[in-house]
Amino acid sequence: MVKTDALIIESSDQVPRRTLFKRFPIPRNFGVSPGSSVERGRNWPAPANATRIKAFDIYRYDPDQKKNPRLDTFEVDLDDCGPMVLDALIWIKSRVDPTLTFRRSCREGVCGSCAMNIDGGNWLACTRFIEETQTPARIYPLANMRIIKDLVPDLTHVFAQYEMVEPWLQSKTAAPERERLQAPEDRAALDGYYECILCFCCTSGCPSHWWNGDRFLGPAALLQAWRWLTDSRDEAAGDRLDKLEDPFRLYRCHTILNCTRTCPKGLNPGKAIAEIKKLVAKRHG
Amino acid sequence: MDRYRFLSPLSRASGLGSAKAGFTHWWAERITAIALVPLTVWFAASLIAHSGSDYQAFIAWAGAPVTTVLMILLLLGLFWHMALGLQVVIEDYVHGEAKLWALLAMRFLCVGLPIVGILAALSIAFGKSAPL
Amino acid sequence: MDRISSTRPRPLSPNIQIYRPQLTSVLSIANRITGVALSVCAIGLVGWLVAAARGPRAYSWFQGVIGAWPVQILLLIATFAFFLHLCGGIRHLVWDSVRGFELRQIYSSGWAVVAASVLLTLATWFLSLTIGRVV
Ligand code: SF4
Ligand code: SF4
Ligand code: FES
Repeated sequence: MVKTDALIIESSDQVPRRTLFKRFPIPRNFGVSPGSSVERGRNWPAPANATRIKAFDIYRYDPDQKKNPRLDTFEVDLDDCGPMVLDALIWIKSRVDPTLTFRRSCREGVCGSCAMNIDGGNWLACTRFIEETQTPARIYPLANMRIIKDLVPDLTHVFAQYEMVEPWLQSKTAAPERERLQAPEDRAALDGYYECILCFCCTSGCPSHWWNGDRFLGPAALLQAWRWLTDSRDEAAGDRLDKLEDPFRLYRCHTILNCTRTCPKGLNPGKAIAEIKKLVAKRHG
Repeated sequence: MDRYRFLSPLSRASGLGSAKAGFTHWWAERITAIALVPLTVWFAASLIAHSGSDYQAFIAWAGAPVTTVLMILLLLGLFWHMALGLQVVIEDYVHGEAKLWALLAMRFLCVGLPIVGILAALSIAFGKSAPL
Repeated sequence: MDRISSTRPRPLSPNIQIYRPQLTSVLSIANRITGVALSVCAIGLVGWLVAAARGPRAYSWFQGVIGAWPVQILLLIATFAFFLHLCGGIRHLVWDSVRGFELRQIYSSGWAVVAASVLLTLATWFLSLTIGRVV
């Protein structure tokens, strides 16, 4: 069971059953620009014959209306709906409000499309059981993103930051006749890093990226940077470190570790960033 | 309010490029932190040991050579670490022109205060009637 | 101000307003707040040295200020801030050597820092009060 009472969280999929604070004790629209503040939306009641009902508070934004984002409450008939949060969203879209907009594709946690903020933590809607959510479940888009519509964030900037780490093999040596050889131990160095599905749960959950996301590359891009730095076949380590060694790009990471806490693939961006900092230290002395 | 500018996503993300710096700051923050572990623990322990003692006893301790040296090291390490740490805090939360002024004010304090403190520690050590 | 730019101005989804406080972020912000608080204490430290250097009268005036009960409460908080920043700082130094990054370790070290800070604060005050009374 991933719902837990334990104080010590052992894997990122665990959800605390109780928390002292559901959110930081600050005003609801603290520091929010006028166009971004969230207003109360409407209620969408469950069908008359429903017996097992669960409420979902869902962030809505429609770019075609000149209105602020709002929080709608939907009542979902659990007997008519699959077990995951994504199932609830699909149920709402097909039974209640066809305009509800969200991304999804694989519905099994490998494409990274359905990342969103569920009960205050970033996760994939397709791998979070409805049973594990609070009542009402609080569904927001990924935190700190420009919103295109409802639960669909504009990922242009974070993908541009990903592009900045040049996530491809770079080698000046002429390509060999056959495959590039790699010792099993060197291949093992990529484990825990190559599995990233670019859902950006980590970057969106990183407070440092909230305040300085224009310059700080964020955990997702930095984990990928490490994935190439640690690849024995890559020849560009020096250039990569040159581009990373910057007070904002890399060192804005303050090892808060919200990234590691939230990664739905159980990866460790915080550790990857510490590895990069260690590598920079190594080449300085 | 920034005027909206049509920049390509990559141009926004790369900004002014890498400063190729940041390591020295990060490293100095760690070095001063390591130095401060024994220094602050020594200081806290001394305070406990001298709680309730009178001025004479206190000055006898504070004027001893070992105390003076450690106190000066503490002041240097403390304010250096403080300047590095506050710099990050200011850079994180203060943007625009205010950042420059905040950094400037913070650095004046972090240079000036330890000098005052060191002079005070020295004048206790040499028993001069203090210049302060 | 447009913190993160995209191709069109769009609403920014909430961040700190909705994100669940976790031991990770709470201890990080605590390290920061205690750091700032201790910076204020550092100014007090210099004032205390100057008072001592100026002679018995200035020193006893300063001790009088410190002895007032509201200041004592502030000092108690400062002691806790000191130990939290100290223990949290050591935790950070361990991380900087790329150790202790498993979630289980992150959470156990986090709670250990909280417990150690409380205990060390209590021990400090117990000792200083008893020693103060003996002398
Ligand atoms: S460890 Fe670094 S990247 Fe991860 S959440 Fe913290 S500041 Fe962000
Ligand atoms: S590191 Fe994890 S949370 Fe971050 S983008 Fe990759 S899979 Fe998503
Ligand atoms: S739909 Fe692919 S990760 Fe959720």
